[in-house]
Amino acid sequence: MVTDALTLIGQVLGCLGLVLALVGAVNDLIAAIGFVRFKNFYLRLHALTVGVIGGTFYPLIGLGTYALFCIAPPLGYYVAGVSYVTAFFVLITAPAGSHAIARGAHRAGYRPEPAREDKLAKDREEGVME
Amino acid sequence: MSKAGSAFVVFLLLLGIYLVYTGTTNPVDVIAGGVAAAVIAALSADLVVSKPSKVFDPRRWVAFVIYAVKYLTVIEARAHLDVIRRILSPSLPVDPAIVRIPYAVSDDYAITTIANSITNTPGTVVVDIDTERKYMYVHWIDAKTTEDEGARAHVSEEFENYAKLIFEG
Repeated sequence: MVTDALTLIGQVLGCLGLVLALVGAVNDLIAAIGFVRFKNFYLRLHALTVGVIGGTFYPLIGLGTYALFCIAPPLGYYVAGVSYVTAFFVLITAPAGSHAIARGAHRAGYRPEPAREDKLAKDREEGVME
Repeated sequence: MSKAGSAFVVFLLLLGIYLVYTGTTNPVDVIAGGVAAAVIAALSADLVVSKPSKVFDPRRWVAFVIYAVKYLTVIEARAHLDVIRRILSPSLPVDPAIVRIPYAVSDDYAITTIANSITNTPGTVVVDIDTERKYMYVHWIDAKTTEDEGARAHVSEEFENYAKLIFEG
């Protein structure tokens, strides 16, 4: 009886994992559409974030959960571990890449157009920001 | 003592990552991972951890778990839906600006947490940071205000409160 309940819970969690993977695929598609529709580098970075977090991080978590509960142990643990660790490193390293290219673009003189205000360019002109 | 404590923290972290990644508790894996983790911990402990006692403070861990759960569910979902709506909407409603956001933490991990949290939320990207005057320059897809404090209240105040609880002090 208890094992039945545990199996059921495991299967529900596995299905939730698959749902996360599917949501990730949709997010990736929308991020790609955003890449085409946004005409400015900085705006495209926001579409990129949708692709990285919604389209990579969450599907990896979902895949790991599915593997943990629905794939037989030795292989399941292996796939789940790889998925979770990769998801963790995507979460903490992807923004570092975004920071680097955004900073590089702005320092190279590429300005956000259109923009209501660009305080970074203003502070650079005033010399308070290197 | 502090150096040994730092090395121990790094060792635990690396061994944990190794064992989760391989997904086994074979003696071979545990020994190989332990040796590799010990060598790396001995070499890099000073660079990575300065106050090891902070790692064993349960209040910080509680704050971390609350923040992680809230950030990865509510905050991310809200931000994703907002940007997805903008991408798919025919008129492409954006009102971008680079705003200046002050922050009041000094720990490197806390600053990194805030910057990563801002960038990982669709709709805001940190473009540059001034650690001397303590400002982050953030490209915001829908700038509701361009004032420093107003932008901070909208974008980073919640991240900063949790980062302070987790890493400061």
